[in-house]
Amino acid sequence: MSDEQTPHEPSVVLELSRRKGTSAVRDSIVGAQRVAAPYVTMTRIALARLGRDRMARAGALVLACLALVAVFADLLASDRPIACRWHGVVYVLPDVTHPAALAGVDAAVMRRDRSPGDWVLSPLVAHGPTEMGVESDAMLPPLSPGHPMGTDGLGRDLFARVVHGTRTALGLGLAASLVLVAIGVALGGLAGFAGGVVDSLVSRAVESLTAIPTLVLVLVVGALVPHATTATLLWTIALTRWTELARLVRAEVLRGLSEDYATAARALGASPARVLLRHVMPNAIGPALVAAAFGVASVVLLEAAVDFLRVGSPDTMASWGESMGEARASMGAWWLIVFPGVALLATLVSLNLVGEAARDALDPKLRGVSSDLGGGAGG
Amino acid sequence: MLRYALRRVLWAIPTLLATSLVLFFVTTLAPDPARDTGDATIDEARRTRFVDLPRFVNTSPQDVASRASAAVKGVAAGAADEEKGARELRRLGGAALPYVLPLLEALPPEGRGRVAVALAPVASRMGIGGSTDLRQPQSAALFWSRFWDDRALDFTRTAVDRAVSRLVEHGTDLRETDMVSLDTYALPEVIRAMTATSDHVALERLTRIARHATERGTVVAEDSDATQVRRAVADWQEWWFVHATDYVELDGADRAIAVVTETRYGKWLRRAASGELGVSAIDGEPIADKLRERAPVTLLVCGLAMLLSWSLAVPLGALGAWWHGRAFDWVSSGVLFLLYATPTFTVAEILRRVAAGHAVGGGRVSLAVAALALGSMATLSRWQRAAMLDVVRQDFVRTARAKGLPAWRVAVVHALRNALMPTVTLAGLHLPVLLGGAFVVEEVFGLPGLGFETLRAIEAHDAAWLMAVILASAVAVTLGLVASDVAYGALDPRVREVLSRRQDGRPA
Repeated sequence: MSDEQTPHEPSVVLELSRRKGTSAVRDSIVGAQRVAAPYVTMTRIALARLGRDRMARAGALVLACLALVAVFADLLASDRPIACRWHGVVYVLPDVTHPAALAGVDAAVMRRDRSPGDWVLSPLVAHGPTEMGVESDAMLPPLSPGHPMGTDGLGRDLFARVVHGTRTALGLGLAASLVLVAIGVALGGLAGFAGGVVDSLVSRAVESLTAIPTLVLVLVVGALVPHATTATLLWTIALTRWTELARLVRAEVLRGLSEDYATAARALGASPARVLLRHVMPNAIGPALVAAAFGVASVVLLEAAVDFLRVGSPDTMASWGESMGEARASMGAWWLIVFPGVALLATLVSLNLVGEAARDALDPKLRGVSSDLGGGAGG
Repeated sequence: MLRYALRRVLWAIPTLLATSLVLFFVTTLAPDPARDTGDATIDEARRTRFVDLPRFVNTSPQDVASRASAAVKGVAAGAADEEKGARELRRLGGAALPYVLPLLEALPPEGRGRVAVALAPVASRMGIGGSTDLRQPQSAALFWSRFWDDRALDFTRTAVDRAVSRLVEHGTDLRETDMVSLDTYALPEVIRAMTATSDHVALERLTRIARHATERGTVVAEDSDATQVRRAVADWQEWWFVHATDYVELDGADRAIAVVTETRYGKWLRRAASGELGVSAIDGEPIADKLRERAPVTLLVCGLAMLLSWSLAVPLGALGAWWHGRAFDWVSSGVLFLLYATPTFTVAEILRRVAAGHAVGGGRVSLAVAALALGSMATLSRWQRAAMLDVVRQDFVRTARAKGLPAWRVAVVHALRNALMPTVTLAGLHLPVLLGGAFVVEEVFGLPGLGFETLRAIEAHDAAWLMAVILASAVAVTLGLVASDVAYGALDPRVREVLSRRQDGRPA
């Protein structure tokens, strides 16, 4: 397989490092890389493999587009203008700058009290995600004037809901994953490294948290905590879903500590902490990051499922699951299922594609074994 | 093998304890109404949730003696505490008399009079006092000290116990009046007798006595049906579980144990372990009964979905790996990947729309099972395919082929048998996901299972049900994990060794 081809044997690099002092190694390697021998690292090999995977590239592209949508959601759909001229003064992004002159001036005032020569540059769709429509706006089908994707049961613009739902889903997914990766890596590493009582405690915690169905827990916590917000959801997920990752990191650390390179480092007089942090942990980080990609997917899925079930709760955040849940009441409104559903599915599929490709890239032995589409795409 | 199974089951105990700690933490998330507002209804609401108790260690557990002396002190001191103390004395009633009346002599005359007057409502409840004016401090104090000289002997546990069992066996109005004159002092035996007897006449008398003494609760009528009786008794049990320490004295060993049991965690754990999970805030039905009623639907959906997904996933995954790289593998992998990424609620919602109107009764169940099974089939078959791919590349499969065995025999007997094992273990880990999915499909298809009921409980803020359902799911999943581990150990002796090694502190 072409993946394993490396232009130069790593022994060249080793040879160089043996001849010179440690401080000089990097320079010589950098120099060698510029001239002839590329400095080959596991990360670089993995990244190169990842780049060659077509499905992973497609997934990453979709994710990048979704991320752009999430970041620039306010430019795509908002009831506030992107730029406007108000009483002779031009304001750019008034929503961000909050100029004093525009305080209390909403869209209706702007239409009514406009002075001659004023203009308004509206976003693609001039409706915000939480902006309720008037009675006649409820359940408009797609391609209605002003509402390209139609509206939901409260007359809210579906395009705005989907666009801002991207922000909710990806933001929550990323934030929760960051926290759970931090907890998982720290506790898993500690358990593998310290052993004994610490290991037992962490293992019991992992087992007991695994036994609690997360969806049920999130529903119950959301109902028990007064004024539950998205932050509550984030912390509930992050504090209970780190278990899988901790189990993985623990196993990696245990394996790493028993391998020759760890023994060698110990023989050279490295302290236990140094062996763990400099030699063993870096090898465990790769799998942890892969798990994080799947973690984002599962958080996005969980958020959607919870909001789907809890429709009608006074939650003003736009959410794909919530929009799809609204469709349950009305059989005819297919657009409430299709548009958010496609966005959700695209996110989940891309995250899984990238995650699987990354896993295969880190461990080529798994190629074709764990990745279902890998056989077709990579071959 | 038996040793392995036993060891695995024992291992589940610390895990369950850890789970109970996590779930206990979840209960503490519910808001505390308020602290010491003096409002009786709020105090009562806090007590029923044990918010008034310390979390893990209760260094000074309250019982009837300490409550009574605190109330007496309050009343005797007069001023602000008097009204609160008088209310407390009225609530404690007859059970407090053995601790209050001996204290009377030691009090200054003025305080003694106030306490004696505060006891007037108790006397009228007990039907004593007759012509004496109990609102008059001096005569009341005299009355109570005479009362205690006469009746102290009736206020012993053995006497009450005998009286209650006589009442249950041959109930007469006279005996009932005797019990009423003991007021709350008789409650421990009366409540215990309620669970022991199923005789409606006896239950009517017992609940009437309890209601008279506590000024709350329901009385079983002679013609009530079984459900009403069950609910009334459960309500009394629940009330007693919360308020028992108001009416019994903790001494010796009881006091030592109460340090641990009279805490929020202690109460919660005892509830969880005994299965007495309180009563629903929606309809007053015992939570345990409700769970028994709803759980079969969820278990049926889960069980059928598991059966369906296994019977599809194993052949699909195995065939995909056997025909690795061929058209079948491509197509099935692609479709399964899409299904894997599709949320269960989307599948369920689409199925519901496609079958709109046609699905009634059993149809809804089969649709729910199908929606749930599709997702877990995708997950399981991906595992199965990976495991099978691992196996078909091994030497023994090549050997089997080389010696000329028919392909199906190699695939089924040699390869699949070994490839099934990892899937069996992973299936245990899939249980929580399956249960969560069941909640979703029940809601979408309106099946009256645990999930459906849970969402109604969320709307009604029924904390008791929510805690019960999450506890039940956690216990069910833990048992499932144990079962799948034991099954795996039975299939593969190597696993048993691994567990033994882990037991010695060595990494698995």
